[in-house]
Amino acid sequence: MTALLSIENYHLDIPTFDGTLKVLDGINLSLAQGETLGIVGESGCGKTVLARSILGIGPQRARRTSGRMTFDSMPLDELNEAEWRRIRGVKISMIFQDPMTYLNPLLTVGRQLSDVLVAHARALSRPALSRQERRRRCSELLDQVQIRDPERVEASYPHQLSGGMRQRILIAMALAGEPKLLIADEPTTALDVTIQAQILDLLRDLVHRLGLTVVMISHDVGAIAAIAQRVAVMYAGVVVEQGATNDILTHPRHPYTQGLLGALPDIEGDHQSLEAIPGTIPNLIHPPSGCRFHPRCPRATAICTSDKPAMTSIGADHVVACHHALD
Amino acid sequence: MLSPAITPSTDANTDDGSILSVTGLTKVFVSGGKEFRAVDDVSLSVNAGDVLGIVGESGSGKSTVARLVMRLIEPTAGRIVFEGGDLTAKSGEELRRMRRHMQIVFQNPHSSLDPRHTIHSALAEPFLIQTNLRGIELERRIDALLDIVSLPKAFKYRFPHELSGGQKQRICIARAVALEPRLLVLDEPTSALDVSVQAQIITFLQELRQRLNLTYLFISHNLAVVRHICDHVIVMNQGKVLEQGTTESVFAHPQNDYTRQLIDSVPRLPRLAI
Ligand SMILES: Nc1ncnc2c1ncn2[C@@H]1O[C@H](COP(=O)(O)OP(=O)(O)OP(=O)(O)O)[C@@H](O)[C@H]1O
Ligand SMILES: Nc1ncnc2c1ncn2[C@@H]1O[C@H](COP(=O)(O)OP(=O)(O)O)[C@@H](O)[C@H]1O
Ligand code: SF4
Ligand SMILES: [Mg+2]
Ligand SMILES: [Mg+2]
Repeated sequence: MTALLSIENYHLDIPTFDGTLKVLDGINLSLAQGETLGIVGESGCGKTVLARSILGIGPQRARRTSGRMTFDSMPLDELNEAEWRRIRGVKISMIFQDPMTYLNPLLTVGRQLSDVLVAHARALSRPALSRQERRRRCSELLDQVQIRDPERVEASYPHQLSGGMRQRILIAMALAGEPKLLIADEPTTALDVTIQAQILDLLRDLVHRLGLTVVMISHDVGAIAAIAQRVAVMYAGVVVEQGATNDILTHPRHPYTQGLLGALPDIEGDHQSLEAIPGTIPNLIHPPSGCRFHPRCPRATAICTSDKPAMTSIGADHVVACHHALD
Repeated sequence: MLSPAITPSTDANTDDGSILSVTGLTKVFVSGGKEFRAVDDVSLSVNAGDVLGIVGESGSGKSTVARLVMRLIEPTAGRIVFEGGDLTAKSGEELRRMRRHMQIVFQNPHSSLDPRHTIHSALAEPFLIQTNLRGIELERRIDALLDIVSLPKAFKYRFPHELSGGQKQRICIARAVALEPRLLVLDEPTSALDVSVQAQIITFLQELRQRLNLTYLFISHNLAVVRHICDHVIVMNQGKVLEQGTTESVFAHPQNDYTRQLIDSVPRLPRLAI
């Protein structure tokens, strides 16, 4: 099975006024066609930077210091801007936490969808779609994201729609280029639980129907569990554990994963006490030596402060980077 | 923990033990010539020392209830009784005095702090306005507040943008408890935060409640959090109370279809095997 996306030993720095942030510190990930991979981790751990780097829209001054990304056999780090235009938003597309930021408040939804189609045709050097073809494609896309009354929605301005509807529109736009890979960065974080459940259902349905490959980023483990077959747990720019969702959630082997799960209140539980992870994520200008989690880790020993733990396989499709992984 | 400037109120709570009781609370907003009933005949009561949760989807009126209770906006109808006194009948100095015993923490810590002022001045403000604490004694109180919310003293000299979301929310909570209120209204205090930070804040809020003998009105659309922290819960939809009861009974035996749907939409996690 060849991977659709593979990220190998990827290091990324962001120079800032105060010093250089070592934001991504050797990321290894791979995704098979049709798979949904969840990425969880606290805010600031580099999820968004990673997602945007896949799309070649990382922070402006960011520098890849080593490693590489390969998508569909193409070396992403070596593409020029013209090549990117045929991929970004077309073959790899992305949806975000706040759809409003990515919609133009002054144009109707129909117009914006139609503009996306025009832009894609241009990017792929295809003949422009006729007005009629565009309309047909728009209603097809709205249908794919399960919008029941496409005429009304097409005629609406973004502010006239609910948060859940706007997210559906953004997904429709993301689907316009028939992407192979969809990156969803906290797509449900800003939504109500009921709407969140609907959007997760929709994403699951799209994976199923269109064979879409998805990277689902969230700090909400529940949302990840609802759609991802595999999960990567990120801490301070490092993937610390990766494996099948069910394994990770029931048998976390990395102390950070265990901490993250222990911090979740359980809807079915009662007043059991929450185990907060002590401390906060480190400053990435001077990240902790050795294992970046060591200042907060209950299992840390001397070696943890000196040596970065290597990613080790501990079961079928389960890897962990820890000197003292849990049993 | 009580500062000399703050004396506990001798006001009796109402006979039934409630510190806050609200009846027939209604708020009609008028926008574009149209009336909109954001809160419609809401009644609730919170016992001293309890945590009452309000859940409901976005737009159901939760925050409007919070703002009405705090008298930040005027109710169209209804009565709000706090520690035996009718808040709706009070105004001016008297209202200000009563309101000092109730404080609110908002969802978005990023916009709750003035970006131009240091953390020190954010924390000093309630003392400067409401008490005559000054100088070294004031510094001591500010340090104590930072201590309560487990932040280093050096944070005094920072500006809000130099803090993380969780740290900002801790500052907002520190400021809200500065004058040792008896009722804390928490409007989605953890919604903008990470799960791990959320766990810290919630654990901290539970501890703080016992330490300072506080009562909470806790608004959230995160049902797991509500189940975790609240003794009683109210379910709101379109401005109305659909269901209320002990947290246990509402979650275990929801009476209303909407409540059931709300509870069912929370993604379930497989159980930890450890
Ligand atoms: N000043 C106002 N003028 C007009 N309508 C308002 C005003 N404030 C609130 N509303 C409306 O009242 C309703 C309830 O709003 P409220 O903020 O109380 O909801 P909520 O339950 O807190 O929602 P959320 O979960 O999104 O915070 C909404 O439809 C809102 O648009
Ligand atoms: N444009 C930027 N300039 C400087 N630092 C940035 C920029 N974007 C992100 N960062 C920093 O990179 C780190 C990771 O951020 P991010 O990927 O947004 O985290 P997450 O999505 O996991 O919450 C943070 O320390 C953040 O402050
Ligand atoms: S390597 Fe050491 S510090 Fe890092 S997670 Fe494992 S035990 Fe903890
Ligand atoms: Mg992010
Ligand atoms: Mg609100």
